[in-house]
Amino acid sequence: MSVVKEFTKGFWQELPPFRLVLGLCPTLAVTTAAENGVGMGLATTFVLVFSNVLVSILRKLIPSKVRIASYIVVIASFVVMAELLLQAYWYPMYKALGIFVPLIVVNCIILGRAEAFASKNPIIHSFADGLGIGLGFTLSLTVLGSIREILGNGTIFGTSVMWSTFEPLKFMVKAPGAFVCLGFLLGLMNIISRRRPAH
Amino acid sequence: MRDLIKMVVVLLVICTTSGVVLSYVNEATIAPREYQYIKFVQEPSIKAVLSGYNNDPVKDRMQLNLGEDQEGNPVEKVVFPAKKDGKTFEVAYSAAAKGYHGPIEVMVGVDPEGTLTGISIMTHSETPGLGARIVEPKFTDQFAGLDLETTKLSADGGKVDAVSGATFSTLGVITAVDAALEQFPQIKKEIF
Repeated sequence: MSVVKEFTKGFWQELPPFRLVLGLCPTLAVTTAAENGVGMGLATTFVLVFSNVLVSILRKLIPSKVRIASYIVVIASFVVMAELLLQAYWYPMYKALGIFVPLIVVNCIILGRAEAFASKNPIIHSFADGLGIGLGFTLSLTVLGSIREILGNGTIFGTSVMWSTFEPLKFMVKAPGAFVCLGFLLGLMNIISRRRPAH
Repeated sequence: MRDLIKMVVVLLVICTTSGVVLSYVNEATIAPREYQYIKFVQEPSIKAVLSGYNNDPVKDRMQLNLGEDQEGNPVEKVVFPAKKDGKTFEVAYSAAAKGYHGPIEVMVGVDPEGTLTGISIMTHSETPGLGARIVEPKFTDQFAGLDLETTKLSADGGKVDAVSGATFSTLGVITAVDAALEQFPQIKKEIF
């Protein structure tokens, strides 16, 4: 498969969390606002790209019996790095995401890509795969966050977009809103992909 | 056997490298992290406890050396002076004490007589709806005008009414404020 294809598959065919239904915990928890979706997505992308590249470099050196442990150490290191960098340069986002930044370690998307892709493919392909999946995840979280922010708060990225008499549906920014919104988006994506010819 | 050694060596190398890299990143980000912490956590509290100044307390902050604690470790304190026309008339600094769940960090503002000009809770992890109500102005406003003598629960002869149902959280705040006020004589010598 070409590098370009590895990159673009993250935006539709394997778009997380909708096509690869993985990483739902941060998806549901942090998408209360569009900005949080962007922040979480970018932090995950950072970890995903670097861990994919490193796992790909080390793929012939790591004995298969300790591979999961090795991947977790690699992933955890990049997560701590992402956390420190967020704390140093984007403090409000660090506060908003809270515990979900350290929890990127256990995000199945990242371990999944390391195990299913980076451990079997060359560096360039793994990089493209990580970047594609990561940006796809960012896009999904931003869309989900935007919908919830618009309906639940009447704003997007903090700017008011609804008419003045609009009564925000407060439940959209709470947990039930996350499930409802995710369900509708999943359904919508299934309808669209059923109409498109299979690849 | 060879497999086993290879596994151990590979894991060892990966973990060591990770440790070295992370400690480097940690070192490299200390200054910006401290700056962000001051800007987003301390500055709003400083603004809440000081008033009537025309300098930038964060920019004018001073690191004071307050002697040693019981174990001989040096005690250092960062203080934020409020100045009017170049003259310091109030000072803000932080102190922490144990609450019901974890540490409560409090910013206090003190005038030269050792009287509180206000307090502001910076960080805490108290129970939402109960202990977390220590951040409400209804509670924190009581502290303005108190000194070391009167910063006690009203049940103990002081002037602080506890947040109902949250005596431990209230005591945590009082302990932190007391700790701050006990340091005041030394801070006073250095800055006023």
